[in-house]
Amino acid sequence: MPLEVQGTFVSQKISKIRWIAEDYVETKCFFTGSWDDDVNSVKVWTFESPHEEDEVEYPRQLSEYPVDGDVTEMKFTEKNKIAVSLSNGDVKILEVSVYEKQSPLREVFHWKKLHNYREEPCSCTSLDILEGDIATIGEDGNVNILSGRRGEVMHSIKGADSCSLHSICFIKHNEVITGNIRGHMKIWDLRSTNNKPAASFLLAGDELAATCIIHHPTQPHIILAGSESGSLAVWDLRMNQFPTSLVNAHSMGVSEMQFHPENPHKLLTCSVSGELWDWNMEAMTKSSKGQDNQVTWMPLEDKKAMMVNSLIPTLHKPINSLHCDKGRILCGADNEAVYLIKNFKY
Amino acid sequence: MNTSTFSADLSHGKAAEPAKTFILPDKCFKKNVACAWGRGNKFTIYPRSQTVNKTSTNTKTDDKLLNTRQDVLLFTPILRKLVNESNGTYLSLQKAAEAAKISDNQVEFLKLSRQFRSIIRVCIENLQDAATNEGNGIEKNNLLSYITIFYSIECIWHLCEIMYIDNVPGDIVLPYLLEWVRFHFPCHEQTAARLLDACERGSEEQEDYWDTVLGMVVQGRVDVARALLKLHSATESNEFKLVDNSLRSMPVYSVYGGISTGEFTISWKHWQAECRSKLSSRVLASQPKLELIMRIIIGDYSAFESIRSKYSSWFDILGGWVMFTAPWARRHELGGAAAACAGMMPSPRSHLDDMVRALLEGDLHQVIHEIQQISDNGWFATHLTDILFHCGKLSIMDKHQTNVTSRLRDSLILEYGCLLMEHKSLWSVGLSYLASCPPEGLRRAELILERMPVESEAKAMRIIAEAKKHGLVGVAQSVCVCMCARQLSGGRLGGALCWAMRGRSGAAASRAAHAALQHYTAHKALPAQDLLLTAGSAMLLSDTLLFLGKYCDFHRLYKTREFKKAAQLLVSLITSKIAPEYFWETLLLDTLPLLESDEPVFTSNDTYEIMLCLELRSSTLDGEKADLLRLALARNLARTALAEGDGADVAQ
Repeated sequence: MPLEVQGTFVSQKISKIRWIAEDYVETKCFFTGSWDDDVNSVKVWTFESPHEEDEVEYPRQLSEYPVDGDVTEMKFTEKNKIAVSLSNGDVKILEVSVYEKQSPLREVFHWKKLHNYREEPCSCTSLDILEGDIATIGEDGNVNILSGRRGEVMHSIKGADSCSLHSICFIKHNEVITGNIRGHMKIWDLRSTNNKPAASFLLAGDELAATCIIHHPTQPHIILAGSESGSLAVWDLRMNQFPTSLVNAHSMGVSEMQFHPENPHKLLTCSVSGELWDWNMEAMTKSSKGQDNQVTWMPLEDKKAMMVNSLIPTLHKPINSLHCDKGRILCGADNEAVYLIKNFKY
Repeated sequence: MNTSTFSADLSHGKAAEPAKTFILPDKCFKKNVACAWGRGNKFTIYPRSQTVNKTSTNTKTDDKLLNTRQDVLLFTPILRKLVNESNGTYLSLQKAAEAAKISDNQVEFLKLSRQFRSIIRVCIENLQDAATNEGNGIEKNNLLSYITIFYSIECIWHLCEIMYIDNVPGDIVLPYLLEWVRFHFPCHEQTAARLLDACERGSEEQEDYWDTVLGMVVQGRVDVARALLKLHSATESNEFKLVDNSLRSMPVYSVYGGISTGEFTISWKHWQAECRSKLSSRVLASQPKLELIMRIIIGDYSAFESIRSKYSSWFDILGGWVMFTAPWARRHELGGAAAACAGMMPSPRSHLDDMVRALLEGDLHQVIHEIQQISDNGWFATHLTDILFHCGKLSIMDKHQTNVTSRLRDSLILEYGCLLMEHKSLWSVGLSYLASCPPEGLRRAELILERMPVESEAKAMRIIAEAKKHGLVGVAQSVCVCMCARQLSGGRLGGALCWAMRGRSGAAASRAAHAALQHYTAHKALPAQDLLLTAGSAMLLSDTLLFLGKYCDFHRLYKTREFKKAAQLLVSLITSKIAPEYFWETLLLDTLPLLESDEPVFTSNDTYEIMLCLELRSSTLDGEKADLLRLALARNLARTALAEGDGADVAQ
């Protein structure tokens, strides 16, 4: 079946969008978080056909949870619990009822002013989750590790960066990688207490922010980072500190990336320039096996060799977020719309 | 004074009158009041006393600030969908217009015009849904009035599309006009469908049977009218057969029908003459309703006049009137028909009347003037004018006969763009409108963007990205400098340095670097080392920043015990004389541990240089420290001179 794209206008700029996983049926419901509005909110939606015979499904709002500040990141800590970071420095864990999704979201934990400049507010810019642990970063340059189960701050690295941090990713249970506004990447060993990074390197020479970091789903030592300039960098952490490859991809900043959960050769990226791309990464790993029979990553020469497809016609406004579940991709954009892409082949 | 009056400048010869009077809700302005403009259409009214009260620093007053702003219809959530969706279509239209400069792109324009109409339709549907679900009476009324507004917008847009954008074959407008009437003024349609479904003989028993038949004739749906007549119990009578025959034999013009307009006109006139003769033979005298139908199809004015009262507006019968008086009418020939229909019954002229009349008369200037009066914050006027402009159908002269079309379009877009820029979230939409109107639009965008509140770095980065997209480098820089100043005032030196470098601003970089150096002299801890050691060419933005970077490098070398290199760097920092005045003490004292190291690291020449600088700037150090330094320098000189002397000997 051909790719189907369907947009719905929702009257708020969407900063993050997430499918709510279902056990045995196709996902129907999703979260959105908004930004840059007078009052922002976290909303739960479901896809519905207004008429029985109609094939087309439209999102209908099930519940709304207003928040202070912008939603900057949302990730699941458990199946029905989502951690939300906000631009006022707060972090919340919200729970959606499994059976009654239209019932209001319940606040499980709330860390007030987790990131702050003492009195002044300071944005909590992003978070990442690994097995219920939450790593948060903020413009204050601090890293906090929270327990999503007990609701406490387990560890914090004060002054991890002298600039603001913009992206974070767990590499292992005790290791995180952060990227700051200048593209300075640092790897932190959470067991050490000396507030010094275990390693640090630069994303690119242009001093632009690292906007998102992810690791490869099956080879966690492969790290990908998206830059504010729109380029994409890949590191093999076992090899060295220089990116294996740096590809000029989008024409403006990469806003979010995701490997397809079912097929690690598929990478999806979206950008401030309004593009949503699907990358075939197979070419990268097909190269010869390394010494100890491990797959090594080929340097990317140019993106043409990479098989990149554009999934939707370029929007006039930035696409801020994407989330993929099997053949269905959701994305949220600054034109106050959410898009559902169906029949994506993976 | 608790009221204030704002009079607007009214053009078009109307007497200047106070536009609207607002009663301020508080009595707190017993004293004097003042008013200050904010960003966009906002102002604040505040009490302002002329006398400065020196004693009351802590006493609370009842004084209040009143923020007043225009209530913008388009900012309601449902209409925000319209704003965003139409923005996409608008931008596609600009692209299509760009392409149309090379090749004709009329089909693309029509597609986009239809897209606009479907956006309006969706908006109306959303409003209807909201209105049915709304419990609050006032809110419901508001929604209903929005629906009325957008109904008339849809109606006018459709007519405009027919008149100016659509490609009408042979310019014969009738089929399109009939379609427009059917679509926007559906009357009797349901009854007709119901009667035909039931298919009962003797349907004339139903009270609206004849109205329906007439309605179908007037809407030009002759087939339906004939089918309905078949349901009459007397349909086998001669009178019915006669009328049916007349309706059936009516010639219908089609551009692709293979006959010329002239030929058609002849056959059509012949047909109507035949009908007229049937009518004058008085065979239908026994069936007044059938007689009326015959009178209508021969285009009898008095017949139309007699049925006009059954319709709420004259638009309903416009299609029929054109059909039965001049079916060959071209697009620009509809003015007369409009006047005839509108004159059939004296009724108060509505705004929609004026717009449709002006449109049919082809007076686009008047049309745009009228649609600007619609209270949709200019959405309609902007988009319609723009599409007409790009289709090349708009040509407006001012009173000096100069073409002001593009100025009119630009001014509408600028106004609309600025309005949207006021909104917290819709600013990016507004920006894309302003950017499509260079150069004036970009200048306005520049002014507004620089004044946008920036709550987080994410917002700052987005503003910068948008500004750069439209080539507003100045805005990008000023936002960076602003962020730098904010970080600096919060004492966050790393952030300040980073934003200064991002903005490539030498002055901001100097300020941040000075702050960092001063911080070091006060706290003996160098801030933002991670940044300074990895920064590249941006360090060259200012001398102070460069000095700071080098000094940081000196610290790194010293910490890694590379004393030789550290000493060389320090000497070069001292001799380059770019160090700020307050930093000399630190710089000179930093030589002390290196002078006292086990291995000599300064050469005798270096030592002389340091001595010179020390004597030149002895005032920066207090006596004891200076003496200590002098001693260390003398001792270093002693051992290096000796060692170098040896070396020289060996070399010889």
